[in-house]
Amino acid sequence: MSAGSVPFSGMIDAYERVTGRIPYTINIELPGMAIAKVLRSTMAHARIARLDVSRARQLPGVYAVLTGADLLERSDIYPYFGPVFRDRPILAIGKVRYVGEPVVAVAAVDADAAQEALDLVDVDYDELPAVFGIDDALAPGAPLVHEEPPKAGHTFADIILHGHPGTNICNQFKLRKGDIERGLAEADEVFEDTFYSPPLQQVPLETHCCVAQVTDGRVTVWATSQIPHMLRGNLAEVFKLPTSRVRVIVPTLGGAYGAKCYPAIEPIAAVLALSAKRPVKFHLTRDEEFVTVTKHGGRITLTTGVTRDGRIVARKSLCHFNTGAYADIGPRLIKNGGYGTAGPHNIPHVWVDSFAIYTNIPPAGAFRGYGINQAAWAYESQMDVIAERLGLDPYEFRMKNLLTEGQTFATGEPVEDCHFRELLTMVAKGIGWDATTRRTRQGPIVRGKGLSCTIKSTVTPSTSIAVVNLNDSGSLNVLTSSVEMGQGQKTAHAILAAERLGISLDKVVVVSPDTDATPYDQQSSSSRTTYAGGAAVQLAVDDVRAQLVRIGSGLLGVPEDAVEIADARVRTKAPPHRGLELGEVVRKSRSGALVGRGTFQTKGNLDPETGQGVASAHWNQAAAAAEVEVDLETGKVRLLRYHGASYPGRVVNRVQAELQLEGNVGFGVSQALFEEMVFDGGQLQNATLADYMLTSTEDMPRELVVHILENRERGDIHGIGETSLPPVMAAIGNAVFHATGVRVKDLPITPEKVLRGLRERDAADQAERNAHAAEPVR
Amino acid sequence: MTLASDAVAMRPVDMDGKVELTLRVNGRDHRVRARPHHTLLEVLRSELKLFGVREACAVGQCGACTVLADGKPVSSCLVLAPMAEGKEILTVEGLEGPNGELDPIQQSFVDHTAFQCSYCTPGFLLTTKALLAENPDPSEDDARAYLAGNLCRCGSYVKILDAVMDAKERVRGRSAPR
Repeated sequence: MSAGSVPFSGMIDAYERVTGRIPYTINIELPGMAIAKVLRSTMAHARIARLDVSRARQLPGVYAVLTGADLLERSDIYPYFGPVFRDRPILAIGKVRYVGEPVVAVAAVDADAAQEALDLVDVDYDELPAVFGIDDALAPGAPLVHEEPPKAGHTFADIILHGHPGTNICNQFKLRKGDIERGLAEADEVFEDTFYSPPLQQVPLETHCCVAQVTDGRVTVWATSQIPHMLRGNLAEVFKLPTSRVRVIVPTLGGAYGAKCYPAIEPIAAVLALSAKRPVKFHLTRDEEFVTVTKHGGRITLTTGVTRDGRIVARKSLCHFNTGAYADIGPRLIKNGGYGTAGPHNIPHVWVDSFAIYTNIPPAGAFRGYGINQAAWAYESQMDVIAERLGLDPYEFRMKNLLTEGQTFATGEPVEDCHFRELLTMVAKGIGWDATTRRTRQGPIVRGKGLSCTIKSTVTPSTSIAVVNLNDSGSLNVLTSSVEMGQGQKTAHAILAAERLGISLDKVVVVSPDTDATPYDQQSSSSRTTYAGGAAVQLAVDDVRAQLVRIGSGLLGVPEDAVEIADARVRTKAPPHRGLELGEVVRKSRSGALVGRGTFQTKGNLDPETGQGVASAHWNQAAAAAEVEVDLETGKVRLLRYHGASYPGRVVNRVQAELQLEGNVGFGVSQALFEEMVFDGGQLQNATLADYMLTSTEDMPRELVVHILENRERGDIHGIGETSLPPVMAAIGNAVFHATGVRVKDLPITPEKVLRGLRERDAADQAERNAHAAEPVR
Repeated sequence: MTLASDAVAMRPVDMDGKVELTLRVNGRDHRVRARPHHTLLEVLRSELKLFGVREACAVGQCGACTVLADGKPVSSCLVLAPMAEGKEILTVEGLEGPNGELDPIQQSFVDHTAFQCSYCTPGFLLTTKALLAENPDPSEDDARAYLAGNLCRCGSYVKILDAVMDAKERVRGRSAPR
């Protein structure tokens, strides 16, 4: 396990993982702990006309029954929360805004009693007209989801707010690069296409869970959260307490994918714990998870101007993201999803208007890919629409337009460490790309290949802090609030610390987040855990190294520049390397332990009117090639082969890197082919895993190759958690087009849509033949 | 024939509405109290603290709560606890040897890092155990089909299938006559 000799590839907590002993939040049980359950709205939009919880309160075994009105009355509670706007009530106040919104919360001796109490609640609603889709919400005179403009609170530095009071527009992002009208006028051909991505759910197998306790004027929660410090801040606001009096502890997560990025259920558990005067556990059922947070449905219209020889000269993007009843992180996501529509292409004139729209469906938040899935589905599909019309090879057309070193992205910033062409070429070679033989047919089965290449930012500016304690035994504790959610954060941070200090991996322990002890980390999202959290760990180790050198030089009686750290010792540089073991240096320093601190901070911002500036500290780059099989009789699509490529800079843990890339394929296949939240009148129709289909072993391509393009000399770490997901859907969609000639523009690519497309294609062919037949014979 | 549930229906119910059940889990008999509508999943977690059994879908579609009942994989979320009486239940906690040494299937999953968040891992391990008991020499396509009822949202399927095919060799190697 020594760092430095053979690089470690695996997970340091593998034993716990295969024995079922990983300590998830759902395992936490405290003495006297009550179980929470929530009564949810059955209406999409309604005034709460009457709410009677008196019978529920009288039920034996019930410790607390709370309504929004109860919370509003309490002087010690501020009953709203949210990462940007404080627009989300802990429990519905006055009206409900979506089917599934929490209305009444109960804490009882067990789940059966809590459920019985909910059954005794009487609630009457006065139904209000509701809006579900983007067009409903934007129609003149549409009912307003929020009558008052949402109240912004303390939030992230990169967030730009452009409100539209009196409408359902939650926020707008604008980007203006070059002169769009001139660019479109200069184009030989202009293409306008609209693409649609449906609302989805992240479906972590571990649903949200929170155990809360309020004692001695302190609030403690054990939470399934990707963002311990912001959750602490939101809870401090709710309880009107200094943040120091709130403690957030985050055990290992059973998957997250963005679902657990922002506060959701924790305020409910915490106010119940206050009211019940005992610890409370709130663990969502699967159907509740579906209505707690979702991926934004998105409609994106791209107007792209190209020259006849295939250069993209202008792109105008109109993006609408359905953010549901509460903003969550929608106000930020529209920025990434907006500028993201320019793709990894060198386009001189770009114009983007991107909107987050309030509607009466469950709130949409962060989802692996963060707006770029929707954007990439649009621009990478349109790339092939254009290539087809101009008679260009989709590979050559992309190669002509992909950004190269130093060219500027839509935000005007030069893209450095740029590898798009290499990545695209890797996957094209892998799949056996040949423009002339992309399609084959055998009976009713046709095969086709498709390509895709995408760019993704990482949240900028951002901050991560790490602390390391070098113990007097020479072992190291790493304190960070980065969250282990299956991506291997603990292993990656342990490797980075061990190799930086030159000690063996088994001497390093990475502590789980506990905001009482572990320092600030902005969030475990945006593919930044290894990259930014890891950088903070390295800086903290550097701080300890500097102390070791200083103290060691004194102990060895030589100047600091004559001292080095090697072989887990502080020693003289000159042979015979007189030295002391690291633990010995700590002991002789009489300081108990050496404490190192590291703060990693990135800088950047965008102009609020033009979207020009610095959007990302670096750019995450990926490409994909897919080969599919389509059954012309059933419309069923099967992914046969897939090559995916990513640029991670430097790989820290080989097997984890592969798992991220392979995992993104699994995550993307079902988004391409199956996943969709289906609503009827705001009521979710498929809130079970019997009706909402995920990728299984059978759906994975039989040939799956992930290409990892490393650059060890440069040494930078680029995030890969999300990077390779956005290209999956368009690569499959483009392959389906090349197999069948059917262009599906709205995900998922279901057999019904393919069959409908085939019929339309055949009808068009027939009409053309008839037209020819009707021509007079010469 | 008397169903286990019929026998349960005749047992005295305590103040909490619970009856006494005897469940044989991981080679030992356990007396537990449960309401007749409680699932095996709930009882394994709440009474026996076997936290390797995990709910994820509650409708028998994801495989995360898989246990073996008389060697057959079942979704413990779909089995009422009284129905499990008289069956030999195996959970992931029962896979290890007496001194904590890993079963060859577990070791293979470790060696291939066949997981990410690992919430689904116990289900995959137990389903693999049942697969290899039924068919000691499955092809990769056999394994794909057999494991299709276990979902891994992290998408660790490539490594899972590698681990299963490797586990096959390890299990065969161990049981081969010397």
